Amino acid sequence: MIKIEGLTILLGSFRLKDFSIEIAEGEFHFLLGPTGSGKTLILESIIGLHKPKKGKIWIGEKEIQTLPPERREISYVPQDLALFPHLNVRENILYGIKAKNHSLKTYEEYVGSLIQVMKVGHLLERYPANLSGGEKKRVALLRALAPKPKLLLLDEPLSGLDPSIKFEIQQLLKTLHASFHPTVLCVSHDFEEAYLLGDKMTIFIDGKVEQVGKRDDVFLKPRSQKVAQFLGLKNLYRGKVLSKEDFDQRWILGINGLRFSVPGSACQDQMEAGKEVDLYIRPEEVMILREGKSVKESLKKNIFEGKISDIADRGRHHTILFQDKEEKIFFEISIPNYAFRNLDLSIGKSVKVALRDESLWVMS
Amino acid sequence: MIGAAICIFIFYFGLLASLLFSASLKGFWESLLHPSTLFSIRLSLIAATLATLLAVAIGLPSAYALSRFEFRGKRIVDTFLEIPIIMSPIALGASFLVFFNTPLGEAIQRKGIFFVFEFPGIILAQFATIAGLATRLMKTSLDEISPRYEAVARSLGSSSWQAFYRVTLPLSFRGLLASVILSWAKAAGEFGATVTLAGAMPGKTETMPIAIFTALASANIEKAIVLILILVFLGLVALYAVRFTGKIYRYD
Repeated sequence: MIKIEGLTILLGSFRLKDFSIEIAEGEFHFLLGPTGSGKTLILESIIGLHKPKKGKIWIGEKEIQTLPPERREISYVPQDLALFPHLNVRENILYGIKAKNHSLKTYEEYVGSLIQVMKVGHLLERYPANLSGGEKKRVALLRALAPKPKLLLLDEPLSGLDPSIKFEIQQLLKTLHASFHPTVLCVSHDFEEAYLLGDKMTIFIDGKVEQVGKRDDVFLKPRSQKVAQFLGLKNLYRGKVLSKEDFDQRWILGINGLRFSVPGSACQDQMEAGKEVDLYIRPEEVMILREGKSVKESLKKNIFEGKISDIADRGRHHTILFQDKEEKIFFEISIPNYAFRNLDLSIGKSVKVALRDESLWVMS
Repeated sequence: MIGAAICIFIFYFGLLASLLFSASLKGFWESLLHPSTLFSIRLSLIAATLATLLAVAIGLPSAYALSRFEFRGKRIVDTFLEIPIIMSPIALGASFLVFFNTPLGEAIQRKGIFFVFEFPGIILAQFATIAGLATRLMKTSLDEISPRYEAVARSLGSSSWQAFYRVTLPLSFRGLLASVILSWAKAAGEFGATVTLAGAMPGKTETMPIAIFTALASANIEKAIVLILILVFLGLVALYAVRFTGKIYRYD
């Protein structure tokens, strides 16, 4: 277990107060936040390059915040990788084991299997200058893992890569994590990266931890509008709680003069009439109703009539922009390609949409 | 524009060619093998080398600190590196003479090493002229190496010293070596500060540039030419060495 408590950094105009995080052993944890939010500074403090004003860092039972970097057993893969250009791939990989004066023998098998998983066996005699972008990434990861660190820190591991290499590295990180179970803290501003790789994530905005949770919890139930906006979520609306529906534990929200019925289970906090809230409608959970087909009872709570005002082909799915007939609101709806074809949709066509209960989430 | 470049070449080349034109082969060997010439050469080589070693010993850690750390007064230190460049060498030498007349300076000379008109004076004068330059040049070489390499090396288990000599030093070696060579060449050619502080005593403090001056003053053109040619030769060797280090220590 890695634990950071009350980390406080003051550097020039940058201020971080009481940052805390917990990472279970073998977890792939993402620290997500917009660029310039001080994530790199947090990393540097964990490594020991930067001396924080206050705060404690534990690795297991050991307090390490006063130790120099070389005694923390934390490996680091910076965004630019920093492979040692004067050493070949083999020497790069073995650097950590040699620097720590460990015997190469005891690591031979482990490093051998790493080399195999990372597919760099044929590159060992080459110098970094003669490696492709993907190869460099693999070598850098291997070099960091070779001395069996207690914690592996990754700084934006997938940013700045071509899409094809990105996919390759992403798969590799998955395999790597599945086969060797390193404890990883990965810093990124890209939610997609976190979504594809992370077990758990901490959302960090404006110097504050906004939300900590399992990947799906964060994605489906953002704690605040800030988080939702950072995640790039569409269909966020500001509104007010109008009243309680006396049956079924539901609440009525008023947004732009329209009424929405929301189940209590989709509300993050205690609700009461008059409260200002944010409603998030998940684009992939909205249904476009087929004409002439009967509608299930559970869908009847939130049905809106209107027309399609735009269609975008996103490759794997289509995004439909829906506008209600009173022109008070737009929804973005995301539907799979086959459904798009079956429904025979076009711009300007009149349709009815139903918001399933699963598509609703209320933050306050 | 290429024409201008060629003009510069012709200008300098003509200057060197005139030296060769004026020198006679017989007189050349005679002047070269003359004990006072050999003494000047030896003195210059030793003094320049010692001054350079001293400049590196103090300049390299300073350069590292200036390149890697933020500290109070860093800007001022950085500006002061240029003092020997903006100050005329003779002014620098004269300042030393003034200093050694202060109570502190006198105490140093009495209880420590004697600098004025002595061999240590040559080293001090040359050191003063090149220390700032050497530091500045070495700082530039270190600036080129991303501190991230050391960060990674340290996270992998190297102490700060190990990270420096296993990673930063080999990576910046080419630039550092070039800085050292250029500083050495500048020390070897130093005249103003040396002559002011250490004097121009034949057989004692007469380095090559000083010997050139005294040879000219006593109308010994032959000797002056020999010494100039040797200085030019040393300078060219130094330049070539800088180029050569550029060729072998390249990683990118």
